[in-house]
Amino acid sequence: MRHQGSLKATLLRPDLGDVLERITDGFFALDADWHIVYMNREAQRMLHTDASCLGKVWVDVFPLAGGTAFEREYHRAMAEQRVVQFVEFSRTSDSWFEVKAYPSPDGVSVYFRDVTDRIKAERDLAERTEQQQALVEFGRLALSRVSVAQLANDALELLGVYLNAPVVEVFLYDQGARVFRVIASHGWNQPAHARSQMPLDQPVRQALEDGHCFRIDDVANDPSIIGRELFAASKIQSGIWIPMGSLAEPLAMVAAFVEDPGELTPARISFAESVATTFGEALQAWQSHHRTDEILESITDAFVACDRELRITYVNARMAAFYQVEPAALVGRHVEQFLSEPDDLHVLSAFKTAIAEHHPTSVERYVVSMERWFDVRLYPWGGGIAAYIRDITKRKLAELRIRQLNADLERRVEERTRELELANQELESFAYSVSHDLRAPLRAIDGFSQALMEDCSESIGETGQGYLKRVRSAAQRMAELIDALLQLAKIARHELIRSPVNLSDMAKGILDELALADAQRSVQTRIEPNLFVVGEPALLRVALANLIGNAWKFTRLRRDAVITVGSSPGGEFFVRDNGAGFDMHYADKLFGAFQRLHSYDEFEGTGIGLATVARVVHRHGGSIRAEGRVGEGATFYFTLPAEVHRTR
Amino acid sequence: MKRPYILLIEDNDDDIELTRRAFAKNHILNEIVVLRDGAQASAFLFEEQREGRVAPQFILLDLKLPKISGLEILARIRKDPRTALIPTVILTSSKQEEDLLAGYRLGVNSYVRKPVDFNEFVDAVRQVGLYWLMLNQAPPLLGE
Repeated sequence: MRHQGSLKATLLRPDLGDVLERITDGFFALDADWHIVYMNREAQRMLHTDASCLGKVWVDVFPLAGGTAFEREYHRAMAEQRVVQFVEFSRTSDSWFEVKAYPSPDGVSVYFRDVTDRIKAERDLAERTEQQQALVEFGRLALSRVSVAQLANDALELLGVYLNAPVVEVFLYDQGARVFRVIASHGWNQPAHARSQMPLDQPVRQALEDGHCFRIDDVANDPSIIGRELFAASKIQSGIWIPMGSLAEPLAMVAAFVEDPGELTPARISFAESVATTFGEALQAWQSHHRTDEILESITDAFVACDRELRITYVNARMAAFYQVEPAALVGRHVEQFLSEPDDLHVLSAFKTAIAEHHPTSVERYVVSMERWFDVRLYPWGGGIAAYIRDITKRKLAELRIRQLNADLERRVEERTRELELANQELESFAYSVSHDLRAPLRAIDGFSQALMEDCSESIGETGQGYLKRVRSAAQRMAELIDALLQLAKIARHELIRSPVNLSDMAKGILDELALADAQRSVQTRIEPNLFVVGEPALLRVALANLIGNAWKFTRLRRDAVITVGSSPGGEFFVRDNGAGFDMHYADKLFGAFQRLHSYDEFEGTGIGLATVARVVHRHGGSIRAEGRVGEGATFYFTLPAEVHRTR
Repeated sequence: MKRPYILLIEDNDDDIELTRRAFAKNHILNEIVVLRDGAQASAFLFEEQREGRVAPQFILLDLKLPKISGLEILARIRKDPRTALIPTVILTSSKQEEDLLAGYRLGVNSYVRKPVDFNEFVDAVRQVGLYWLMLNQAPPLLGE
């Protein structure tokens, strides 16, 4: 707004005066010396003055504005010749004014209006917003099921701050004594023994019945107030009491006391009621869930409960300890905030799926930073979802180790198999060569010795003939050794194709053959019938033939030779003879290749027979042992498991 | 070569000598033609000028031969119509199962393991000679 000519002259123009009178804002004008030169009626009304103020210095008319923002801002506008705008509380009118001041070289024009309602509304809104936030916080705390004492303390603090109440009290109802007892209070300078309890009388009964709070102004003189002398000694004027529960089941009560009854606005009372309700609900929940809680806290699993939006509504102490915070700090937060591991997407989706499909599920979670695995079991329910989290690192590590071991083992088995295959190939070609090439020279030795004996017998003489006989028998024995070795090698290579075998029949057949070939001997044989096993018939025959052959051979010097084939109660099969026997001292040498306990002259043999037997038994997954005494005979025990893994 | 003969395919001099001796001891005096490796045998049987030559009465074939193995020679003998019907006996040190099986699969007439004991060897040769020279009805000779 621009002012033309002198401010005063302008203001006194009759047409403009009418305009200024008609505007709803307050308006006044000051000259350069701060005299009031004009003030419309609205301004006079708002500032509680009249036309008599005109011509006087502004600050003298409104002394309460001296030194306030009003004075500062008008001076600033004048000094800087700049429009100023501000909102300030006027102590003169006990109202909030929004002010615009337009300077000119010869004065300041001030427009203002009462914005008290707006400011109050804003303040209320801000206060309520704060109250709401505080309530949410309090709700979280209540849901986290901290101790009742802590919750009561928080309630006291909230009421104290938001009701501007210097004294607040929380009561718990004592069912037995039928009184409300103070469990926490703020504001009393000394222990308020006189106010430590309150009977279930009027007006509390009525309030419980109505489900409302009640308020008493002039608390120092109200006969229903216990310990009112305490209030008399303070500035406290008013109080509200908010009981919780019902008349049938009173639960608790909060009370707040203020110095100015005006502090107890409806908004604040409703806030106080909300705090009380929350506290009451938490208390009730705490009481009814106390056992559940104890269970939850005592189980080894961490436990977290969420609502359907996956906001945490409860965590047990173990869960909180996991994040090294109080349980309350986790309540109200979204589960997602705690699922920040690289592969947590599947955990989150498991939560969502479990809720969506209302179906329990479980998911494993690896926390990289901790190097730990967790098993997360999810149980959805109507109101949300519960998760039990168990540390399965030990089990997981064991599994991993086993898996690694298995992989390692498999790899080693593969390697070993390859090695064995190679070795077998080598062995095969070796055996092939041995079979061909080692025998040919022996044949030459034997053949030409024979030729010498035949063609040159006279020149060689009898001694020479004897030597040639030894040459020939040595060659033949070596051929036998080669054959025995080849058989031993063959057993290792022989594929195991199992079928049911009647060892009794097999033993009888072998003994019959021996008896036929050695007709002059009389050997008593005892064969237990129907000794059935599952195995490779050809190999079993080789083994049994060796064992029975040995028994036959070593009983040669006995007239009452007895060979027994049978089974022991322990499931072992045995071949027993009453022949030459052996010294148990050498028992461990029996099954080695080329190990002999008798000289060739005593009992002929290659020293490979029992090694062959042992190899057959071992290839069937069985074991073999021998018992014997010199001169009394020997017994060879062996097992042939029905089911063994194929070794190749 | 028009007179009947026995073909011995064998690389070991000792075995050749012992075989000759075994035949002699059995009074089998037929000529013995010796071929010392698989290549020689192959050339003799399939490539050389065969005009006016009769087929051997039977072939004694060792398995472990230089250059071309006995089993290969056997296969070619059986494959070639000119030699397919000649009685062929494997006479070898080995009695490895796979050799036995392969030999019979390829159509060998007998498989004789050379025993180390010379007396047994003589006996084996006698049986082979007796059977293939005297008892067995020879097939009609081809290519004549």
